[in-house]
Amino acid sequence: MDYIIEGVKGAFKLILSLDKEIYSIVLLSIYVSFASTVISSLIGVPLGLVTGIKEFRGKRLLSKIYYTFMGLPPVVVGLVTVLIISRSGPLGTVGLIYTPTAMIIAQSLLVTPIITGIIFTNSKDTGLEIINICKTLGANKKHTFFKLIKELKPLILVATVTGFGRAISEVGAVMIVGGNIKGHTRVMTTFIAMSNSMGNYDTSIAMGIILLIISFSANSFLYNRTMGDSNGYKIKKY
Amino acid sequence: MDIRLRNIKKTYNSKTVLQIDSLKIKKGKITGILGPNGSGKTTMMKIIGDLIKPDTGRVEYDGKGFESASDRLTYVSHNSYLFNDSVFGNIAAPLKFRDMKKEYIEKRVEELIDNFQIRYLKYENALTLSGGEKQKVALARALSFKPEVLLIDEPTSNIDPNFIKLIESALKRINNDLKTTIVIVTHNTAQSLRLCEEIIFMRDGNVIQQTLTKNIVNSNDEFIKEFIELN
Repeated sequence: MDYIIEGVKGAFKLILSLDKEIYSIVLLSIYVSFASTVISSLIGVPLGLVTGIKEFRGKRLLSKIYYTFMGLPPVVVGLVTVLIISRSGPLGTVGLIYTPTAMIIAQSLLVTPIITGIIFTNSKDTGLEIINICKTLGANKKHTFFKLIKELKPLILVATVTGFGRAISEVGAVMIVGGNIKGHTRVMTTFIAMSNSMGNYDTSIAMGIILLIISFSANSFLYNRTMGDSNGYKIKKY
Repeated sequence: MDIRLRNIKKTYNSKTVLQIDSLKIKKGKITGILGPNGSGKTTMMKIIGDLIKPDTGRVEYDGKGFESASDRLTYVSHNSYLFNDSVFGNIAAPLKFRDMKKEYIEKRVEELIDNFQIRYLKYENALTLSGGEKQKVALARALSFKPEVLLIDEPTSNIDPNFIKLIESALKRINNDLKTTIVIVTHNTAQSLRLCEEIIFMRDGNVIQQTLTKNIVNSNDEFIKEFIELN
């Protein structure tokens, strides 16, 4: 029990000491997760909306594929990414292995299906309803598009923040493609895994606390935005 | 505008839910659609509103396709989607879609808010309203741009009896003043007798009678007779 208390004390000392290494790891984590969330949102939001709202043959199969990909094991994603970007892989000449770019690619592969799946599931009925009501009220395509985005803003925020949460808490894929290189590709989760295995509980707890603070901030932002915007907008379970 | 349905057929899961060879809804009249559940009333309304496509056949609006009428026709159901906005914002939306001037929008919305007696809801978020209040807002929103054709599915299903009169008066007024063609789906025979000049009676996806309202009560069809007696 003592080592936990000591660990927590040490964690707060470390956070308050403004340790350069700790904060560079935090910044890299935020950068990689933010970049991958932006990429995934740019792909996942329109893809989820279009495939969710439109009726087409094979939609059921597509939904099964989305749900399968939403639960992709991070190590598998890491492995696939490594196979593609490693020196002997198809993109080997680009030299992406063990770089933050490789980590962004791996996280984007993980997060895109999550954002797509959430948008797809929740826009199926509501999105069509919004399009139909806009049609009955005489809206043109431009007005309908902006109304759709405005009405689904809470859903888009939920999907994006969920994706960010997945990205920042992910360890398996970034460990494989980034290599946890000090000062280069070390992020919070890989740092925690490494420190824990070395018995450095204070640094692990410090990083864990920072990770929780970031996660809490992201969710608080989401809560404030969705509650203010939607007055009880409900996201369907899938 | 006159609305004509020609050779319409709609099937769901190999069951024909609507089959109409020919049907004309007359311009400037209030027409009621009566019939039991599952008789195809809502499907027909949605096909007229171009919200669902028929498998075969077409709907003509003054002899033309839907595009010619899309800006002058609206459909309101008993659970119409309201935007995540204030009541004012919801009623103003169709006018904003038409790039109307701000002064006109404010004047028109205020007028409808008074007509529907919903001034106390003006700044409320529409999603927080009760079913009946939502229905009034949806109807006010649909009327904001003075459509030439108003398709209403169960207009007063969630509304208190004392407000039903208000809604019916509003519908009669716009029909009188603006010559709006109104098509109403209702289960309430008494309401259709009060409001409509013509009745279309449906059963199992087919129109079994189209007649003046005064004639429907004397219908020879046993099913219609029984339906009217029970409703």
